[in-house]
Amino acid sequence: MSSPLLSVANITKTFPGGVVALDEVSMDFHPGEFTVILGENGAGKSTLVKIMYGIYTPDKGSIILKGREVEIKSSLDAIKKGIVMVSQIPQLVDRLTVVENISLSLTRIGMFETMTRVRRFFKEVSEKIGIKVNPDAKVWSLTYTQKQLIEITRAILLDAMVLILDEALTYLPMEERRKFYVYLNEFKEKGRSVILITHKIPEALEIADKIYVLRRGKLVGALDKASANIDKIRDLMFGEAAKTITYERFTKPYETPIGDIVLNIRNLVVEGDYGEIAVNNVSLSVRAGEIIGIAGVVGNGQRELLEAIVGLRRVREGRVIIDNHDVTNKGVKLTRESGVGFIPDQPLRYAVSADNNIVENVAALFSRKNFVVNWKSMRELSEKLINEYGIYPPRPEMHVKLLSGGNIMKTVVSRELEYASKALVAYNPTRGLDEATSTFVRRKMKEKAVNSKLAVLFASEDLDEVLQLSDSLYVMNRGVLYGPFDPVSTPRSKIEELMVV
Amino acid sequence: MIPQLDYIIDKILPAFVTFYLVSLGHSIFEKSGILNLAIDGVFFTGTGAALLGAILPIIYNIPISPPVMGVLVATLIAAILGLFMSSVLTFLPISHGAVGLSLQFFSYGVGIMLGYYVRLAYGTIYGVSFAREDVLYLSIISLVIGVVLHLFIERTKIGAAIRAVGENPHSAAALGVRVMAIRIVAGMLGFALIGFGGALFILSWQRSWDVKLFTLGYGWLAFATALAAGRHPIVLIPVSLLFGGLVNSQTDLQSRLGIPADVAKLIPFLAALALMLIYSTTRLRRIFASPSSLGKPYYKEEKSI
Ligand SMILES: Nc1ncnc2c1ncn2[C@@H]1O[C@H](COP(=O)(O)OP(=O)(O)OP(=O)(O)O)[C@@H](O)[C@H]1O
Ligand SMILES: [Mg+2]
Repeated sequence: MSSPLLSVANITKTFPGGVVALDEVSMDFHPGEFTVILGENGAGKSTLVKIMYGIYTPDKGSIILKGREVEIKSSLDAIKKGIVMVSQIPQLVDRLTVVENISLSLTRIGMFETMTRVRRFFKEVSEKIGIKVNPDAKVWSLTYTQKQLIEITRAILLDAMVLILDEALTYLPMEERRKFYVYLNEFKEKGRSVILITHKIPEALEIADKIYVLRRGKLVGALDKASANIDKIRDLMFGEAAKTITYERFTKPYETPIGDIVLNIRNLVVEGDYGEIAVNNVSLSVRAGEIIGIAGVVGNGQRELLEAIVGLRRVREGRVIIDNHDVTNKGVKLTRESGVGFIPDQPLRYAVSADNNIVENVAALFSRKNFVVNWKSMRELSEKLINEYGIYPPRPEMHVKLLSGGNIMKTVVSRELEYASKALVAYNPTRGLDEATSTFVRRKMKEKAVNSKLAVLFASEDLDEVLQLSDSLYVMNRGVLYGPFDPVSTPRSKIEELMVV
Repeated sequence: MIPQLDYIIDKILPAFVTFYLVSLGHSIFEKSGILNLAIDGVFFTGTGAALLGAILPIIYNIPISPPVMGVLVATLIAAILGLFMSSVLTFLPISHGAVGLSLQFFSYGVGIMLGYYVRLAYGTIYGVSFAREDVLYLSIISLVIGVVLHLFIERTKIGAAIRAVGENPHSAAALGVRVMAIRIVAGMLGFALIGFGGALFILSWQRSWDVKLFTLGYGWLAFATALAAGRHPIVLIPVSLLFGGLVNSQTDLQSRLGIPADVAKLIPFLAALALMLIYSTTRLRRIFASPSSLGKPYYKEEKSI
């Protein structure tokens, strides 16, 4: 067998506050191989790859590149050594354009050069893997997935030897995903190495040459293609909780009774960030106890639609009626106060205040009308959510930004589900969550719909999720809503076709 | 017609170049994300250094025009302060406000040290100042600097890097930017321009220097100018002109409106507030917004989302 291209040996990383994120972890990454790192939320996956990419320095242990021990002092250093990462939480600068962001990584672009060449490079690569993003758009106007696509383009442009993808492929639209896999195979054949972090275990099994499993900072499994199977892996990752994972429907569509219309959307026209029509004459209604799912490829108006419904985006034409009250263009305060929970497209950025702790983030929503916050009850509520959703580490005083990506998401989702008393409006409600937690969250959404008569409207770029959860589903494509469809009887191919035509 | 032209050459333009250069330097500095509360001090160091610089050619018989030498020395010394402030605040996760204010008082001291003995020995500085008409060239030069810097910030990679470290140094670093190097470039360049402005303040506008004169608080006025113009090199032009005009007509306004001198001094600041209020209600708000990480202590290993 060939010698590894990159290895990490006995890496230990402890964060201030005593969290041991990595404990004596060693892994080898071989040329021409696809390595997948798995682990539940907070297992230490991102921390490990951030060490390889020069963002964190390990307390202990070494990094060996092509047989030689190296020190990676910064991301620039990593890039120069041929190691490039696409982050779980896109590391792009919002107020810069796409090409400006990319230029910052390209050492072949001179400091005093303008963006002309970068724009050309970007177009070449984005055409190759089929990415449709305006190179001169400001990054803040893009969705989460689009930002990841930009990071992928950047990684390709950097022509890495080792490519690290931290949950970057999960929501890639089908066409891009296909083209990108072709690219990744070429990449492997050139004797390079791919490291992938994902929570989609079936997919991991399909593509992995080698799988490492982390649990609470320790390496608990190293499997090769032949010895890996899904049950074994889930068992290593979750232990007991593995049994709860399911992608089966919880009930048949409309098996449980539904009530009156709660969300009533009439002929909605909404503009995107550049004044283009993002939502084109959309009507739908959601009844109490009903779950409506919207499938679609990123950037087809789902984000704008949901934002307009909760009052975060101006409605140009049409009406939003919640519980028989017309709330069109009356602002988010009103919708929130009428009992609507909301999970936005970029929850880690727009749904939490990262520099505050969990209790404060919970209080920000639950005590919004109180002049004096009852910290004791907020703390109790936070503790309840932490227990119920398994937020790790279980510390109410933990600054939200110090949690792992998935645990920040748990904080948001748990708070919104708890808060929602009339309706829940959610975009990718399980993004970044591990399988056990996503199953739990979907189950919880179903329970709340059934038991508390919540009207649930969610959009997801993950079709399986839409199929598992919705009573009826719609497809959104270029601002137009198609449907409703029955999630059980409608052929999957028909839905997929509607998503991309 | 002629007296008006005189007024412009003698009063308005010197005030304009001073404000423009100081606020321009301050804007470039702050675009890299470091809060500059040292502005008035650095401005004053510029004046003292300019004075010292301007007499060097006379003492040592150097074949260079005294005021030009004054400008060179002032920019150099201010740039060194910029190097210090940017690197300290990028290297250590400490309060920008505390470092900035300390540096302000330190720079007042440096300014006094540099200028005091010259002042004792020479008294008047008319002889080493810029000629009256030079202010025209100086204005043109500073406008050219402003336009070039604008293009530089908006169009080039290094400009993008400066904005990136001001917006989010963690993301910038992950993209491959050397945060330290970029902040030092912006810091030195920014402070150099403030020093340049300080030099012109005494060598072209006041044409006198005193330990007690300090800066009349004009450094802070430039701070307000930069805020009011959203740190935009081009927008700074009319705003600096406006402020230069307001400062000059202070006594005039004072007598005409019958208000006390201290209230009249507030006028430029009120104008700054008014401008900021106006644009904050329009779409310009987004373009003129402060860098997101302005004043935030930077610690490399800190997690950011
Ligand atoms: N900068 C930091 N300061 C303190 N704690 C941190 C920091 N970064 C990560 N942690 C902690 O280290 C642990 C591992 O986090 P990491 O982000 O590596 O998890 P992960 O495996 O990527 O999880 P996820 O699937 O949720 O993304 C978590 O408990 C997290 O709270
Ligand atoms: Mg992670």
